Amino acid sequence: MSTASREFLRRAAEKSADLNHREILRRVVDNCNTSMDSGRLRFANWEAARQRCHEIKWEALNNLDRYLLEFEQRVKDRGGYVFWAENSAEACGYITDLAISRGVHKVVKSKSMVAEEIHLGPALEKVGIEDIETDLGEFIVQLRKEAPYHIVSPAMHLTRKDIAALFKEKLGDIDTDDPQELVAAARRALRRAFFSAEMGISGANFLVADAGMIALTTNEGNARLCTSVPRIHVAIAGIEKVIPRLQDLALFWPVLATAGTGQPITCYNTLTGGPRKPNEVDGPEEFHVVLLDNGRSELLADAERRDVLHCIRCGACLNACPVYRTVGGHTYGTTYQGPIGSVLTPHLRGLNEFQHLSYASSLCGACTDVCPVKIDLHHHLLENRRDAVRSADRPFTERIGFKIWRWAMQSEGRFALAGWFARAAMRIAHSMKLEGTALDPLGPWSKNHASPAAPKRSFRALWGKANGAD
Amino acid sequence: MKISLFIPCFVDHLMPEVGLDTVHVLRRLGYDVDFPRDQTCCGQPAFNSGYWGDARPVAERFLQVFSSAEVIVCPSGSCTTMVRNFYPQLLADSPMKEKAIEVGRKVFEFSEFLSRVAKTADVGAAFPHRVTYHDACHALRELRLKQEPRQLLRHVRGLELVEMPYSEECCGFGGTFATKFAMISGAMGNAKAGNAEVSGAEYITSTDPSCLLHIDGILRRRNSKVRTIYLAGILAQTASAAERRAGAVATETAR
Amino acid sequence: MAQTESASRDKILARIRAALREPAPRHEPASQPKTIFAPVTEALARFQKECATNITECIVTPNRRASASAVKDVLASIPPGDVFVQDSPELRQFAEEWSKDRSIQWSSEGPPRESSQATITACEALVAQTGSVLVSAACGGRGASVVAPVHIVIATVDELVPDLDAALASVLERGIVSVNSYLCLITGSSRTADIEKILVMGAHGPRRLIVFLSLA
Repeated sequence: MSTASREFLRRAAEKSADLNHREILRRVVDNCNTSMDSGRLRFANWEAARQRCHEIKWEALNNLDRYLLEFEQRVKDRGGYVFWAENSAEACGYITDLAISRGVHKVVKSKSMVAEEIHLGPALEKVGIEDIETDLGEFIVQLRKEAPYHIVSPAMHLTRKDIAALFKEKLGDIDTDDPQELVAAARRALRRAFFSAEMGISGANFLVADAGMIALTTNEGNARLCTSVPRIHVAIAGIEKVIPRLQDLALFWPVLATAGTGQPITCYNTLTGGPRKPNEVDGPEEFHVVLLDNGRSELLADAERRDVLHCIRCGACLNACPVYRTVGGHTYGTTYQGPIGSVLTPHLRGLNEFQHLSYASSLCGACTDVCPVKIDLHHHLLENRRDAVRSADRPFTERIGFKIWRWAMQSEGRFALAGWFARAAMRIAHSMKLEGTALDPLGPWSKNHASPAAPKRSFRALWGKANGAD
Repeated sequence: MKISLFIPCFVDHLMPEVGLDTVHVLRRLGYDVDFPRDQTCCGQPAFNSGYWGDARPVAERFLQVFSSAEVIVCPSGSCTTMVRNFYPQLLADSPMKEKAIEVGRKVFEFSEFLSRVAKTADVGAAFPHRVTYHDACHALRELRLKQEPRQLLRHVRGLELVEMPYSEECCGFGGTFATKFAMISGAMGNAKAGNAEVSGAEYITSTDPSCLLHIDGILRRRNSKVRTIYLAGILAQTASAAERRAGAVATETAR
Repeated sequence: MAQTESASRDKILARIRAALREPAPRHEPASQPKTIFAPVTEALARFQKECATNITECIVTPNRRASASAVKDVLASIPPGDVFVQDSPELRQFAEEWSKDRSIQWSSEGPPRESSQATITACEALVAQTGSVLVSAACGGRGASVVAPVHIVIATVDELVPDLDAALASVLERGIVSVNSYLCLITGSSRTADIEKILVMGAHGPRRLIVFLSLA
């Protein structure tokens, strides 16, 4: 069992038993789901929207080289720079080198899962550059030195009292837990940052090939400030984020908003490409896009799983997942959480280390049903399990166990005998009161369940006896 | 029409009443029902755990056993799903791939058979109790059954169907998930049990006996008043059977 | 340092090309292409309805002159301080009315100051489907629609298009996408629900978005 797996089990046990935490999670997730339900109703046909989004993403990914090259050329035509990074180290290296060479002391960041994935924050800190998260939820968890809790709501596990105490300690000029005042305090603190930072770093929700622009979907306005005020703007995105046409956003903007927060569309959908033009009032003097591979091209090569790269990071699968709803985001211990995280992480970070995430699911399929770009999420979990058996470490007892199972299942006689043994073992365990002890044949089952009564005879015995007659 | 019964392995070993009640209802509707004795398992336990190499021969054997069946009925949404939706992928490189697709077309979950093939909503049942329905995941999302089991329940005389909150939420069984991740499975199961209790139902039913086995163990551990009963267990009850039972009790009392 | 030719680029492209030799399976479309969004029939009414939902103040006036006067009333209701205005011939004309009570900072002088109480701009389009305002860098710059607590947009019904499709087609066709380094589709005022999922208006962007929509 890997370290990551052990840690996951430990955290899962802790969170499953924490009824308070489960209640908070339940409330937040229910809220998200209710909003998404009403959001879907605004579409004449939500299923048609999903299908069309799936098709556009399919087109983009199955012609990825073409669209990335088009994007790159258009960005260059606009006077911007494009850097292709094979991995986290290269991406961080490019950004830190750029910052140092341009005399950058402070960086403001708007929310980016990719920046988390490459651990950009620590890389900047290492070279002495101050790095400030400006998305309110991220700002909060950064002050607490925690990882974000949820793809869309990083601070959803905290109450206003928690946040008020945090702000009082770290910001000083606040003495209430009124959400309005808390937001205003954050705004004041971050305003100073926006106007003093030399570099703004953002992610990108979409890389628009035909326009040579990145698209950012937000509500707060911090991404707009990050990408407009500092003199250098760096956007970092996975290579899979490219879409063919600006026109495609007429569909993706409402779909992303609906699936992410239930809104018809978010407050700010920003398009930016290249540095400011000579006649513009303001804007950055330099524009850089870092395209990150970091395992994505390998996933691309797996045609069965290429659709995992369709993901638009909406978070709907997290809200649909009963496992997520029970244990919460931190339990996963990875950048990407919930169903998409469980599908993706073994491919980005190693199957052996992270296979447990694919097993930590009842395969209910709620995620697949809700995904706006029609990724077959729960089927991919099954495929990850298949791969784990083929090429990763599985417990020896499990491997042997299924060999025995297979042998037993290939004969009616052995099958019936296996059933007879099972019933006999259960009867003995019951009469000797072994339930819950080390000799309990049902093992972990007895933790949560009263034992089932062992029937005297199997179905086939009863059928045989009466030939099915009543 | 001759029906071949596909009895899930754990039903055969541990919940034979599920199979008996299923036969009872189908025969009452006039169907000729047979049980191919050679059957063992559809292979789902190995498949779900990633052991596709071990699941494959078991699946191929299943197809041989049911090869000449006219119609196959199975009292389990998850086992039906395995055969119809997953055999094609499991057997993609097998010489039995076409057979898998062919058999997949003639296998039906029990309530699915009644609604979509027999096209019967009223099977002459009587069960004067308050009942809530758990939407088992495979039946709901892979077989697309939502209203069909409810329609069958609505036609049961005396039955009051109540909805519980989060009826579509997974009960947490998930096969080996229940033992490998017992803490999460238990939490999900207890959430489901709590929702059943809140609904005011006396019984919780479903298309999937595996869910019910899990929920039942949890309800009894909680000393809950709610009891589990498989769908065919309800549909097998008739007014005359109820009268006979009542009559037997009256006779006893009179003595 | 900021080079685009690099070994990594070649390696990544090579891997992508090798990866794509095998096409991926995809979900089949429904037999008939289905309408995704119900068509917008009454654009003005729809725009007003959406504005009410997303909390944009939409004030319909008979003509642009009337809009300019109405702006004066709004300015009277906000705290004293600079007003930043997009430098265009038309707004220059209207400013004569406003500059009596307010000091005006023009976009040609630079981006809006932190102390600005309001910004006033034109727009590239209004979108009925979502009750949105589409601005570009040409509308007084990037800061114009985000820095101050109040953002006022002066528009006419000619700029109103039915849906997002039409809005994006329009800015592409008119060359607005190529001559600007920045566009933003604004829908309502900035907001966040990051604290206990409670909606708070006015996060980093303006707290009030006001659209004066003249019919002529």
